[in-house]
Amino acid sequence: MNRRDFLMRAGFTIVAGLWLAGPARAHHGWGWATDEEFELTGQITAVKLGNPHGEMTLDVKGDEWVVEIGQPWRNERAGLTHEVLAKGTMVTAHGHRSAKASERVMKAERLVIAGREHNLYPDRAS
Amino acid sequence: MAAELLAGIEGSVLATALRGSTWVYPLVNAGHIIGIALLFGAIVPVDLRLIGVWREVPLALFLRVLVPVAAAGLAVAAVFGLLLFAANAKDYVASGFFLAKMAMLALGIANALTFHALRRRHVPDDPGRDFSWQRLIGATSLAVWLAVIVLGRLIGYF
Repeated sequence: MNRRDFLMRAGFTIVAGLWLAGPARAHHGWGWATDEEFELTGQITAVKLGNPHGEMTLDVKGDEWVVEIGQPWRNERAGLTHEVLAKGTMVTAHGHRSAKASERVMKAERLVIAGREHNLYPDRAS
Repeated sequence: MAAELLAGIEGSVLATALRGSTWVYPLVNAGHIIGIALLFGAIVPVDLRLIGVWREVPLALFLRVLVPVAAAGLAVAAVFGLLLFAANAKDYVASGFFLAKMAMLALGIANALTFHALRRRHVPDDPGRDFSWQRLIGATSLAVWLAVIVLGRLIGYF
């Protein structure tokens, strides 16, 4: 095999490998979280909205949890403002928790506040 | 005092607008990466030449073309990097990876300035000669800029 053939084959193999691996990874874009659905209810103690992504801290029966939410445009689309996420508000977050069992961190796909649904990913079944 | 300064930076009109933006923040991010690409892409051939690769090509050619590109890349990365920093100043200062990156950045700049100072001192007597200290400077540069990039990436994941 000459060098050019080798490079062509190597390139093809990489592209084919990525294409095959794609569908398995594409469902949730967060490599650090588990694939299982996860739910958490707690009281908001701190909120940060804004780039690169929003984050809120929940008090869940005395444990502090960090819930990652979306980029500004995604939070706005879901109706998540500082008023809705005021300190002391009870929130139920649906999404995926960190794959590290010791880490109290989750990525939210959907929040429920006072019976109202705030869906960050309306195009996903969750 | 430092806490007030950081809060002031984060609370500035510019930082607040960046945090809330849809397109500007990712574009500022892209600007930072373009700067790093220019810096690293230009400095690696220089470092390899200093270490001893491509001895048949005069060092002066590498320096003439690639040093201005690397310096421009550093300036671009620094300007966009300052904007990214301003948007979340408190978080960055609290990050060990960020502080380590800044230390490495300072080392990289000091290493480059040392190289140019040494050249100014030694080269006029003997232009075209390769010096033994070049190897150490080249190897340090390669290691330091790699570390800057890796540490920079790690900030976002911990």
